[in-house]
Amino acid sequence: MSLFLRDYLTVVWFGLAAVLLAGLLLGVSAAIRPSRPSYDKQIAYESGVDPVGMGWSQSQIRYYVFALLFVIFDVEAVFIFPWAANIERYGVFGLVVMLAFIVLLLDGLVYAWKRGLLRWV
Amino acid sequence: MIAAIVAQLGEWTAPVIDWHALAPELILVVGINLVLFIDLNIGEARKWAMATLTGFVLLAAFVPVVTLAVIGDASREMFDGRYVVDHYALILKAIFLLVAYVVVLMSQNELEEGGYYQGEFYVLMLCSVLGMVMMASSRDLVSIFVALELLSIPAYMMAAWRKRDVRSNEAGVKYYLLGVFASAVLLYGMSFLYGTTGSTKLVEIGEVLASGDLIAMQVVAIAFVIAGLAFKVSAVPFHSWAPDTYEGAPTPVTAFFSVASKAAGFVALMSLIFLAFPTATGVYQPLIWVLAVLTMTVGNVMALRQTNIVRMLAYSSVSQGGFILMPLAVAGTGDASQSAVRAVIVYLLIYAFMNLGAFAVVIAVSRKTRSGEITSFGGLFGYAPGMAAVMTIFMASLAGIPPLGGWIAKFNVFKTVIDAGSGAAYALAVIAAVNTVIAAAYYMRVLRQVWMMPAPDGDITPLATPAPVTAALGITAIGTLVLGVLPGLVLRFGDLQDLTGALGR
Repeated sequence: MSLFLRDYLTVVWFGLAAVLLAGLLLGVSAAIRPSRPSYDKQIAYESGVDPVGMGWSQSQIRYYVFALLFVIFDVEAVFIFPWAANIERYGVFGLVVMLAFIVLLLDGLVYAWKRGLLRWV
Repeated sequence: MIAAIVAQLGEWTAPVIDWHALAPELILVVGINLVLFIDLNIGEARKWAMATLTGFVLLAAFVPVVTLAVIGDASREMFDGRYVVDHYALILKAIFLLVAYVVVLMSQNELEEGGYYQGEFYVLMLCSVLGMVMMASSRDLVSIFVALELLSIPAYMMAAWRKRDVRSNEAGVKYYLLGVFASAVLLYGMSFLYGTTGSTKLVEIGEVLASGDLIAMQVVAIAFVIAGLAFKVSAVPFHSWAPDTYEGAPTPVTAFFSVASKAAGFVALMSLIFLAFPTATGVYQPLIWVLAVLTMTVGNVMALRQTNIVRMLAYSSVSQGGFILMPLAVAGTGDASQSAVRAVIVYLLIYAFMNLGAFAVVIAVSRKTRSGEITSFGGLFGYAPGMAAVMTIFMASLAGIPPLGGWIAKFNVFKTVIDAGSGAAYALAVIAAVNTVIAAAYYMRVLRQVWMMPAPDGDITPLATPAPVTAALGITAIGTLVLGVLPGLVLRFGDLQDLTGALGR
């Protein structure tokens, strides 16, 4: 049982270290930084556009769909570039596997297309 | 610079792929595409065909599992032993496919009548099942993680399937946030494991951990990995998402989560414990001991207070999870390591039958009563004696009453714990025995409503149970009864005694 306690003491130290580190970083910066809040500093995006209207504003849902569709091509690129750099090394096997991968990714695009998500309005 | 790295890598040879061993996964992938494209091209009036097609895909994926089992090779390894198809994997694949088939039967009418997106639902469910089937074969940290995400991400969407219902949205968001948090904890632990052992392959991690005393990082890694998976199996204190998600999600989806997703978490836990941490008994055993005791006790005590049948079944499934954890808490002690895997798998199989059955009864009855309260089961014996009988089978089996499956499952678990023969194991057995008695109270409360109380609104028109739900009830009731009367069927199942050997130890 003492072995168990000794083992889990490391887990406790680990947790304490995490809390301590976060506390230290926030505490030190709070202690040494000057604090002079003003109206301009408190609005969102200190150096950006002034917020207009309420926090609960509606935004166009289509942007979100397009962002999701972008992920299809993004993921594709991440895996295709390393493969393309070594296309000869991986030979026919690599080609077949990559084609299967692309077809599976394209499923998502075809689905979106058939459901009419690619049309704006 | 890249050219220099490539030159060092040397000749690359294509991995040898055992197509027969991969056939269940490949059939599921083809099936997912098939369902997706056929669904896109047929009219709303013929969407019912999607459920049938999904059922056939699952049965088709079952065929290679059976043929592989009949051939009976000890194990087929691919990718340098990182993907293994052995008896252990085959039994679990069979369980997952069976559960998915029953869930399709249960969800068919629910989806049709609700006007939900049927094709998409089955595509997501098949993706989730693919992840579970992969999980059974994964013997590497990376493939375990990929399988876990593949089975979880569709599940987050399935939880929020009734998108106009606020509760269902809440269920999806809670499940998603806590699931992602758990994945992060799990990955954090895995990164420590890889960093301190230099391998992602479970067997190699096990060899490094066995070679000397554990260093502090490895203890932290094991604790984090187990905590991450404890979220998936909804072990207390990581269970807080379970009741809300189970209540808000559509009932067939809840059945799917409480059986299949939970089983997948246990599979990952078993692979890790028996392959990667077998020598770290001092670290994982006490942690799982505490988790098991908390899980069964808190689950039971909370279940006692519930008035909603789905919430009660949610807490009951939390507490059943505690029983499934028990053999793992003694997995490294004495004779228990031989029987621990078998006890867990037998429990998972029987639990799948009885819990799915209980949810099927809830679906059938709430189609008429439109209520989730336990009191709405009043008078069931009067107007639907058959349904009352099968509900009795499932509740008695969950409580662990002898001639039924649940009894064999509990018996095996207790036997394993007693085999271990240590003080902690006996203490665990005593706590579990007390919990079995507590559990009987709330299962019997449902039966009291079913057999003794009058119908709350006096409505005694018979139930109109659709054929698929009846089929699901039949499969689960027969499974629960047969496994209870003929436990030899599962106890010799794949000679699980050999499992620790097949797992590569």
